[in-house]
Amino acid sequence: MHPAIEISGLTKRYGEGDAAVDALKGVDMIVQPGEVVGLIGPSGSGKSTLLKCLGAVIEPTAGRMALAGEAIYDHGWKVADLRALRRDRIGFVFQAPYLIPFLDVTDNVALLPMLAGMPNGKARDRARQMLAALDVGHRAQAQVAQLSGGEQQRVAIARALVNQPPIILADEPTAPLDSERALTVIRILNEMAQRFGTAIIVVTHDEKIIPTFRRIYHIRDGRTYEEAGEARAA
Amino acid sequence: MINLAGRDILHGWGKFVFTGVGLGLLIGVTLSMAGIYRGLVDDGQALLGIGGADLWVVQRDTLGPYAEPSNVRDDAYRALLGVRGVAEAGNVTYLTMQVQHQGGDVRVMLVGFEPGHPGEPGNLVAGRPITRSHYEAIADERTGFRLDERIRIRRHEYTVVGLTRRTVSSGGDPMLFVPLQDAQEVQFLKDNDALVNERARTAANPAFNRPGVPGLLEAVQASQASSRTVNVVMLRLAPYTDETVVAREIRRWKHLEAYTRADMEEILIAKLIATSAKQIFMFLVILSVVSAAIVAFIIYTMTLNKVREIAVLKLIGARNRTIAGMILQQGLGLGAIGFIVGKTAATLWAPIFPKYVLLLPGDAVLGAALVMAICALASIVAIRAALRIDPAAAIGG
Repeated sequence: MHPAIEISGLTKRYGEGDAAVDALKGVDMIVQPGEVVGLIGPSGSGKSTLLKCLGAVIEPTAGRMALAGEAIYDHGWKVADLRALRRDRIGFVFQAPYLIPFLDVTDNVALLPMLAGMPNGKARDRARQMLAALDVGHRAQAQVAQLSGGEQQRVAIARALVNQPPIILADEPTAPLDSERALTVIRILNEMAQRFGTAIIVVTHDEKIIPTFRRIYHIRDGRTYEEAGEARAA
Repeated sequence: MINLAGRDILHGWGKFVFTGVGLGLLIGVTLSMAGIYRGLVDDGQALLGIGGADLWVVQRDTLGPYAEPSNVRDDAYRALLGVRGVAEAGNVTYLTMQVQHQGGDVRVMLVGFEPGHPGEPGNLVAGRPITRSHYEAIADERTGFRLDERIRIRRHEYTVVGLTRRTVSSGGDPMLFVPLQDAQEVQFLKDNDALVNERARTAANPAFNRPGVPGLLEAVQASQASSRTVNVVMLRLAPYTDETVVAREIRRWKHLEAYTRADMEEILIAKLIATSAKQIFMFLVILSVVSAAIVAFIIYTMTLNKVREIAVLKLIGARNRTIAGMILQQGLGLGAIGFIVGKTAATLWAPIFPKYVLLLPGDAVLGAALVMAICALASIVAIRAALRIDPAAAIGG
């Protein structure tokens, strides 16, 4: 079975000549299906750049990147291919929920399967199921503005999971939440990873959730260093 | 697929509707300008229909009687009746003047005509035709005069015996019809002081005041106090007569100018109201550009307010055409609201305008198409901005 994410020697250079900046300098990473991995690093270390490369938003300068064994960017991927990749195989959870304010909760979640071509009724059914799995099924008809911060983040997670992508990229998903809610979000991500076999990368600064990860990648100056759970325990 | 534009509009409907209303009032002004132009043309065509004439005979080398002054002898009609194909002839005078009414004054075009001849107003909406030789009048209802009301014109009082509708000059002044001789007196007769002065001057002239020729001075003075001039002779032709042939005959043999209905339409529309039409067209162009700029600005602002949402949509796989469609639909929605409000407003306020505002269904359809086209074009700026939004903007850092 292929790893969900496998990257090696990934580099990303911004600019050219003297103004060139290497944001990533040969990153290696492997994440297995059903695994939740932390990605930790100070500001400017390259976290967001790595996330954007993994999210098929920016193209790396060099290196190899494979999702579920399929190499990305190797065969002249087009914009439409990357868009379909993001829609069908990658889920995103952001620091803020970034829900669409003019759609209700159900349609915020159902939007993804609709974009993938699923009929509205079926997409809404699937969205309601996902909202119920995340304990916000009772808020399905509510408007986004009527939800609490924690509920909004659960809806955002439901949106990321609704197409059942093999990979979820979470960019500081607990930053705006208190400790209790932050731990709840991580618990939910872990449950979903177990339930759907989704590989999840969580970028975070949040000290209170760091101990929950079995594996952590530290990123510093564009390079990653893996820290295994056993090592952290020691 | 969810209609994102519709949901966004419903979510912020108040802002959207108020913006649409504002745009609609601008569109209403634009439609009214078009209506004013149509009204000018229609006034001109209505003017030509008033007397039931087939030919207008005026002073040679003039574009009279509406576009230029024209003076024709009032006995010229006799000669014109002798032209083959001419069935009826009628002398008509025109004079724009102020008439006192209820403490104020009303601007009217005073029309002198001969009852029973070309030049007589056609369908009356109230009252009866003029049956007496003097001091009766038929008024357009926009003068505000009522039936049996007595109005004063210069030295005499006239009784309004009939009312007409849509009988206005090319300038939009309502018409007041009186018997020809009364109109000639109003138009050409001098005031008392001028008459006394003229008589004294004539009496002092030895050429006219000759004791050896009794009655000469009185005859000369009488000729000075009366008018034998009209502005136009209207002709009605016998059935199946070629009006261009008759007009050519009159020009050749009677030393007068003769215009057919087509000629008069050309004079009225292409010459008399040409400047006004250009003025209105310029307003239309400016208003259209302003409307387009406003729509573009509104749609652009609305789009920039959704940068994060658009970035998220692109990140989660929304196609460019989905996002472009959302913006375009909002632009068209704004245009649709604007047009409905504008058309309603223009229809409601058209009767208040002092001049006739003619809102044609065809113009409304064209206006709707133009508004939609302008809104679609105006959306392009916002669409370009939206398509430039980087999906990476949804990811921090």
